[in-house]
Amino acid sequence: MDMLSDIYYQIIRDLRSRFRMPVWIFLSLFQPIIWLLLFTQIFQSLSQLPQLGTVSYLQFFAPGVVVMTVIFGSAWAGMGMLQDIDMGILSKMLATPVTRPSIIIGRVISAMVMLVIQALLIFIIAVIMGVEITTGVPGVLLSIVIISLLGLGLAAISNGLALLLRRQEPLIAVINFIALPSVFLSSAMMPAQLLPAWLNTLRHFNPVDYAVVGVRDLILQGYVWSDLRTCLLVLLAWAAAGITFGALMFRNRAE
Amino acid sequence: MLNTLLRPTSGTATVAGFDVLKSPAEVRRNIGYVAQDVGVDEHATGRENLTLYGHFYRLDNKTIKQRIKEIFELVDLIGYEDKMVSSYSGGMRKRLDIAMGLIHQPKIIFLDEPTVGLDPQTRARIWDYIRKLAKSMDVTIFLTTHYMEEADQLADRVAIIDLGKIVTSGTPDELKRSIGGDVVTVSPCVVKTEECQEFLQRTKSVLSNKPFVVGMQEADTTLAVYVQNGESAAPNIMRILDSEGIEVQTLSVSRPSLNDVFLKYTGRNIRPQEGAPTTYTEVARRRSRR
Repeated sequence: MDMLSDIYYQIIRDLRSRFRMPVWIFLSLFQPIIWLLLFTQIFQSLSQLPQLGTVSYLQFFAPGVVVMTVIFGSAWAGMGMLQDIDMGILSKMLATPVTRPSIIIGRVISAMVMLVIQALLIFIIAVIMGVEITTGVPGVLLSIVIISLLGLGLAAISNGLALLLRRQEPLIAVINFIALPSVFLSSAMMPAQLLPAWLNTLRHFNPVDYAVVGVRDLILQGYVWSDLRTCLLVLLAWAAAGITFGALMFRNRAE
Repeated sequence: MLNTLLRPTSGTATVAGFDVLKSPAEVRRNIGYVAQDVGVDEHATGRENLTLYGHFYRLDNKTIKQRIKEIFELVDLIGYEDKMVSSYSGGMRKRLDIAMGLIHQPKIIFLDEPTVGLDPQTRARIWDYIRKLAKSMDVTIFLTTHYMEEADQLADRVAIIDLGKIVTSGTPDELKRSIGGDVVTVSPCVVKTEECQEFLQRTKSVLSNKPFVVGMQEADTTLAVYVQNGESAAPNIMRILDSEGIEVQTLSVSRPSLNDVFLKYTGRNIRPQEGAPTTYTEVARRRSRR
């Protein structure tokens, strides 16, 4: 009970301070829309590729945008933790009886809340732009579960890295090092058949790719259970691994 | 360590009746901790900061509301409850910081150098709040400081720690009395030179076998002579040094301060600016309304 209440108040605190930055809110909601519009314009001619079949690039790329948004949203989750460390808020909090895991779980969940809002918005815009979602609303909900698992793991790792590195510069460097390549090392932008062989192999070690494939199946094809099962299993393992890492780093710092 | 943020490498400690290793949660529930650095959330209001901590201490909404009212009054922040902390001045933040350690009416409050880096006016006000706190709440205040006058002003009991060990403890008066009466500070020179050092050494040896001298401690250009009665000793010292041909530049008589106590027990002057990582003073104040 104490834990749930602590998590709740941590989430409230985190979301409240986020929503006090109107510029930040506006841009985080707006950026995915820009990506959606910009990338589909840039890669418009890819629609003529036989590998895409009857699917438009917009339709192909929409899942990619959702996943990219999740990556960039959750990878930076550790920055808030770092700020709490720098401002002395964390050590002050640790001197209270607050349940320790709630500090990191609260942060990760509040990052998730933002991501889900962003993702829903992208889905709505995509539908308005003409994307047909084969599986409808249940498919969208399942997609939300998929990307939440991806984001959960990443946000927890980001928090763990913040606790490990203790400084902004190395954290920013690590996040930049991982975030964009993890998108390119998947089939987010390019159909898998068109990727070079080594990339096509490598993407199977990238949890991002499983999220992309899962969401894309739900949008374009329907319930491809063989893909979905692998996707969910891999992402569950990923989320568990991320949370374990974050929790270990936190214990390292706090206990 | 006592506030459970660090684990002891060996030994045991009991805070408010609970072992810091075995029941850290109970310890945390009974203490308030105010760190040297202000740990308040800038992007929230004063009330939000306090409410969050109220929930961490498992207080219900009604109690939190009431406590916030009382605490804001105590630290004189009425009217600023719903302003963002980013608009607070340094002194106000420190007061809010202290307030956050009080929300649950702890039995013990740890104040880690509460006035370091504050201007004299703000420091005097913080002192006032600490006094008010001691008077109005049934609480033990555990305060660490580099400032001897802070300890003198606020503390009922003082412990001086040097290189990690308590070298002496007692009430400020006890400690001052342990020096043995008054301090006569003589200086044969103004600037520290070799000649000056020589004078100091000679002064020391001349005075060392005099019966009224209880002890001596030298620092840069001065020699502190601990005597039973300063008023009668001062002319004596003048006469003796005169007859030895040592020209005294300055001489003053004072009741001993905690600085003198510190000097006596650690053999050096405290230099707050250097932070003296291995040498600091801990002060405990106990006040109860009974």
